[in-house]
Amino acid sequence: MEAVDLGQLLSSKQDRRIRVIENLLRGKKTVSTLYWGQRYHLLPLLNLSKHLARGGLDTAIQDLQQRDWVTVDAEQKTLRLTAKGEVGLAQHAYYRPVTVDQWVNWDLNAARQRLLLAVQVTSQFAHSTARYYPLATDQETRRAVRQWFHGAKGPALASDLATALTASLRQLPNETASIMTDQFTGFDQPGLTLEQLALATDQAIWQIRLREFDGVAQIARDAWQTTHPLHNLLAPLWRLPVSTSSQATLAAVTAGGDLQRVADRRKIKLSTVREHLLEAAIMLPVTDFPYELVLPPAMREAFRTAVHGDLDSWQYVALPQAMQAEYDFFYFRLYAIWRMKQEVPA
Amino acid sequence: MESLTASLQRVFGFSQFRSGQEAALTSLEAGKDTLAILPTGAGKTLIYQLYGYRHPGCVLIVSPLLSLMNDQVDRLRMNGFKRAAAINSLTPFGERLSILNHLDQLQFLFLSPEMLSQPQMLNQLQRINLSLLVIDEAHCIVQWGPDFRPEYLLLGAIRDKLQRPLTLMLTATAGKQTRHEIAKQLRSTPAVVTESVNRPNIFLDVENVADEATKQSRLQDLVKRLPRPGVVYFSSKQQASDTALWLQQTAGVTAAAYHAGLDAEDRFKIQQQFMTDKLDIICATSAFGMGIDKDNVRFVIHYHLPADLESYAQEIGRAGRDGAPSVAILLYAPGDEQLPLALGQSNRPEAETIQRYYAHPQSFAADEPQIHLLAFYRDHGISQAAVERLFAGRERERNHALSQMVDYVQSPTCLREKWLQAFDEAAPAHDEACCAPSNQPLDLAAIHLLQQAVTPAPIQKVPWQERLARLF
Ligand SMILES: [Zn+2]
Repeated sequence: MEAVDLGQLLSSKQDRRIRVIENLLRGKKTVSTLYWGQRYHLLPLLNLSKHLARGGLDTAIQDLQQRDWVTVDAEQKTLRLTAKGEVGLAQHAYYRPVTVDQWVNWDLNAARQRLLLAVQVTSQFAHSTARYYPLATDQETRRAVRQWFHGAKGPALASDLATALTASLRQLPNETASIMTDQFTGFDQPGLTLEQLALATDQAIWQIRLREFDGVAQIARDAWQTTHPLHNLLAPLWRLPVSTSSQATLAAVTAGGDLQRVADRRKIKLSTVREHLLEAAIMLPVTDFPYELVLPPAMREAFRTAVHGDLDSWQYVALPQAMQAEYDFFYFRLYAIWRMKQEVPA
Repeated sequence: MESLTASLQRVFGFSQFRSGQEAALTSLEAGKDTLAILPTGAGKTLIYQLYGYRHPGCVLIVSPLLSLMNDQVDRLRMNGFKRAAAINSLTPFGERLSILNHLDQLQFLFLSPEMLSQPQMLNQLQRINLSLLVIDEAHCIVQWGPDFRPEYLLLGAIRDKLQRPLTLMLTATAGKQTRHEIAKQLRSTPAVVTESVNRPNIFLDVENVADEATKQSRLQDLVKRLPRPGVVYFSSKQQASDTALWLQQTAGVTAAAYHAGLDAEDRFKIQQQFMTDKLDIICATSAFGMGIDKDNVRFVIHYHLPADLESYAQEIGRAGRDGAPSVAILLYAPGDEQLPLALGQSNRPEAETIQRYYAHPQSFAADEPQIHLLAFYRDHGISQAAVERLFAGRERERNHALSQMVDYVQSPTCLREKWLQAFDEAAPAHDEACCAPSNQPLDLAAIHLLQQAVTPAPIQKVPWQERLARLF
């Protein structure tokens, strides 16, 4: 990720923690990372760069600092865009993915692997190529595509797939559709690498990746239709953006469980139940979380009168002693999430 | 049992073996361990594929290049051998487990030396019927052994533990010393099947350049004038990448880098682009080449000095497989031998480090490569004195190999003669189609290697809808 790419993830109105951005990209899902990811509106980045090394953003940060585009706090933990940075960034036309609100619902890297192999297999099948090298992928992708192809192959597959892909890519900016097409491997087309696409279109690699994620998410979403030729291959990759254990905790609590009782029944700690609930509250739409049960109106009212100003400036330790005695940090954080969900419709 | 030729016809649809294949198979069929030294492109993999087809049990192939293993599995599948798998350090845990659980059903198993030397793996392998053990790229026992892959040194002991299965050692190049060393390490006295390493259609050229800048501009000039496609070899990944970009931008060619730092998808795409003539130039490190079958490579340029003539022979062997005139050019600037020297030394612990390590092994961090290497030897019960001897001996061998390479570069007389000498082969008489040592200019026209004037096809940018439609 280069300076301009990182700059896109920063704000002039909010200090943003480097570690949070790094952990989001690397897919480290702690409650704190998710909470701040939500505060920064950066949750779609979750898991997009699993191989990013710890400290992998340092070069980009140094570059931004040298340009005077950001200020770094004394502890070297947070970044804030300067006025010069805002102007500088505004001069770069930057890609805005159109499917970004879908991203947390898909394992986009897995979907991309499956899509690429399925396109190759179908393309070679359409041209009756008996012998070719399949794209190098992991065994799970190979297994899934083999199984899909076994059920899907037939005289109409290639034209059905061409029609479906065209329909999906048409909904995206032309250059994104073009980049998606160029990365495909198939008959008489080895496909271009990320680096080659970046060079050919004079864009940074990260922007190319954003376009690829956009294309993959669009195709995956369209494949939700049961008549779509890739339905059986891609639909299983849709998922709730919440871990299965958190889902189980949430279901138990929604069914009317007291938190301690749910903890006992599930043989987990109360603190784990709370972490599960916070994860679910952050990642799910406000209507999918039992706020009425866990954060009843009286409690909300108590917090409403106790905290003021910008959400980012709220501090649990600044609450009146009596409130701290009555409510754990968990409720304070949950109230903040609930408030956030009021501000930003999910 | 059906004849070898009948099997060849049945499995591959060929009626004739390429030279060397039949001799190697005949030797194996007679139950003899075999060292097959066959040039790249001679179809070495066919030997063990056909053997595996004709005999029950599993063919175990030890291969040093991780990136290549999956290619080889794919290739086997393409040839109809579905029961093939590979395990190396990059194999995800779940996949590894599922392969191990079905080990007895496999016909071909590829393993990295690291995997093979793990006790659990050895236990599993002892339980299955191995029809053949293949040591691929067997020269790595010598070239890479003590410096990079200590596991190769265990192969002899491992082979004993596997009850000495019939063994096939494969390599493209091995001089007398290397042959001897391979046999010694594997505790075997193999029958040797070999072909001449000479490649008469490859013109040999060495060019002296004054410095790095001159070398770069000479490279650019050559790339513009030589017929394509071609390969340029570098010792550094970064320089391969940078130069590919630079040539693409300044020499009017399509170029890409290929090295071990690329991920599997990129490697696949670059390789396929090159195979289908969509790339003019590959800027490569030594990771490129093993397993590449492309007939019409017209030139191989070495930007850096290889560490020995065997690597050099192997790399220039990518040129001219179709038998048409091709050229191997080595660009040499004064002091170029320092790089391979330094690369060799950086992997080798100093005598003092060895002493201190053996005295206090706990006080060293094992994640440092040199220490890792020493820990490996110590854990395998190799004494300090033996390790010191090993490294000293290795250093002498490397220096000797490098001095042979430098001799080649500085030779005022026939290069082919110098080259083949190292392989105990006599060279044919020198003529104008043979070579141009460093004191003689390279005349591309005289050797029919000037690029034919081509009018570049106008680039039409076809809309993506149409490009997509062409795929299906
Ligand atoms: Zn000569």
